[in-house]
Amino acid sequence: MAEAPASVPLISAIKVEKRYPNGVLGLKTASLDVAKGEVVVIVGPSGSGKSTLLRTLNGLETITAGEIVIDGHELHGRAADLRTLRKRVGMVFQQFNLFPHLTVLENLTLAPLKVLGLKPEEARLRAEALLVKVGLAEKAASYPAQLSGGQQQRVAIARALAMQPAVMLFDEPTSALDPEMVGEVLEVMKQLATEGMTMCVVTHEMGFARAVADRVVFMDRGEIVCEDAPEVFFGTPRHERLKTFLRQILKA
Amino acid sequence: MQKTEKAEKAEHHSPYRERSWPWHLAAGLFFVLLALGIWFASKQVDYNWNWQRVPQYLVSTEGQEVRAPFDGTVAVSDDGKSLTLTPGGGGAPVQFKDCSQIIASNGDQVTQDDLLARKAQLGPGPLVRGLGLTLEISAASLVFSVLLGFVAGIARISRNPAARDLATVYVEVIRGTPLLVQIFIVYFFIGSVLQLSAFWAGVTALSVFTGAYVAEIVRAGIQAVPKGQTEAAQSLGLSGLQTLRHVILPQATRRILPPLAGQFINLIKDSSLVSIMALTDLTKAGREVVSSTFSPFEVWFTVAGMYLILTGALSWGVRRLERRLERHG
Repeated sequence: MAEAPASVPLISAIKVEKRYPNGVLGLKTASLDVAKGEVVVIVGPSGSGKSTLLRTLNGLETITAGEIVIDGHELHGRAADLRTLRKRVGMVFQQFNLFPHLTVLENLTLAPLKVLGLKPEEARLRAEALLVKVGLAEKAASYPAQLSGGQQQRVAIARALAMQPAVMLFDEPTSALDPEMVGEVLEVMKQLATEGMTMCVVTHEMGFARAVADRVVFMDRGEIVCEDAPEVFFGTPRHERLKTFLRQILKA
Repeated sequence: MQKTEKAEKAEHHSPYRERSWPWHLAAGLFFVLLALGIWFASKQVDYNWNWQRVPQYLVSTEGQEVRAPFDGTVAVSDDGKSLTLTPGGGGAPVQFKDCSQIIASNGDQVTQDDLLARKAQLGPGPLVRGLGLTLEISAASLVFSVLLGFVAGIARISRNPAARDLATVYVEVIRGTPLLVQIFIVYFFIGSVLQLSAFWAGVTALSVFTGAYVAEIVRAGIQAVPKGQTEAAQSLGLSGLQTLRHVILPQATRRILPPLAGQFINLIKDSSLVSIMALTDLTKAGREVVSSTFSPFEVWFTVAGMYLILTGALSWGVRRLERRLERHG
């Protein structure tokens, strides 16, 4: 739980800054620790830098100052071996980004085969087990285009899990979905959380944040404004900007 | 998939669709009129149409020659179809069967390389042989231009500035100069320095030229694959090369294929320019045939038709390939 973080955080972002080539600051001195088994939900208005922060955590976004340490590996600096790190950090995207030319099963086995060097049989068994887990065992031979958005996102989660990562990053995983499909994806994520997966989730689903998060982080204008356990965060928000944000969300 | 095909068919037969055949008929009529116009115009300049002269330049009926492999005595069989040559210095006689025309007579003493007989055989005429060379040059250039084009296209969007510079200069220089000039440079300069044969000089010039265009097609095809695909592959730990090979290129290929087919059709047509360097390709063969027949209209129409068959077959093949690729969702 948030009140008792493990001694060594799994993810540690220290004073991370992201300045774009045009001078705009995407992130300013954002610091975030995520302990093993913790579920951290990041919320905030669009353009607040929450997706940017998440993407720096597996090196998809470079940083211009500060440092990021994940599971003992430092991510900042040229020498950092991004590939080694990315094996340990799974990522789920807003637009699913499944490989459209591969079947569902092939989507799940590609990286385990090519990156982990698994035997085809092992990779297939692992993939099939994950498809059962996300409730799509019968879709193994389908192509992504034949699936609904919700199904595609569940496949994308399974694809990331196939690498057996230590951390899962979710970048607005339900924002591109039709409303009736949001539930099935959140259900899979809830299940993952109860299994003890360390998760970092950027989302607008306040219900999910309230129910699943150990800690909720509020970001605005490139900085982390405040963070709290969900009961405090939603029940007795202290920060003025957070109050405004929550009012706007509730109005909608 | 099947549903949409059915829907398309239904739409095709729908009574609400306007009839299109009168328009096709009108277009056909236009071409008939055009042909008539050409015919009348040629009458005006007293042109003699000699279409019957063309086939012999497509298919050669000149037989294969049978020449004496050694000195000896000829014996012709009774049916006049085969002949036996007995070596003068002793040894096993050799028989030649199925001759269409025996030139030596019975009992003739012949010396080595004397013409004995002809065998009837249909062979390729000069135009078909020219077509063969055009095909060979185009096919060889196609292979090399694809290799060159993929390397240069990938290099153009590489993260390495040196690779980017090299590829950009290559593409800009080649696209900014005429192919004919490039052929002259390759033939007279590079060809003589590297001791290239005319054939390989032609292939080099065409490959380098077409490769620059292929590079742009490949670059555009790769850049058209959504960025999320690269990000997803990278987030799974795939290396740059693995991402390219397993994720980007398979998807880019489908976008690359149609413009690439167009480029290959251009390649076949551009190959006619190599005829300036003593290579008897289809165009050069056409020129030679014209100079011996004085029938430029017939010969050049025939040559054009032969190029059309080549390019038409290619675009048909590519369309089939595209359709097969489309089936994978």
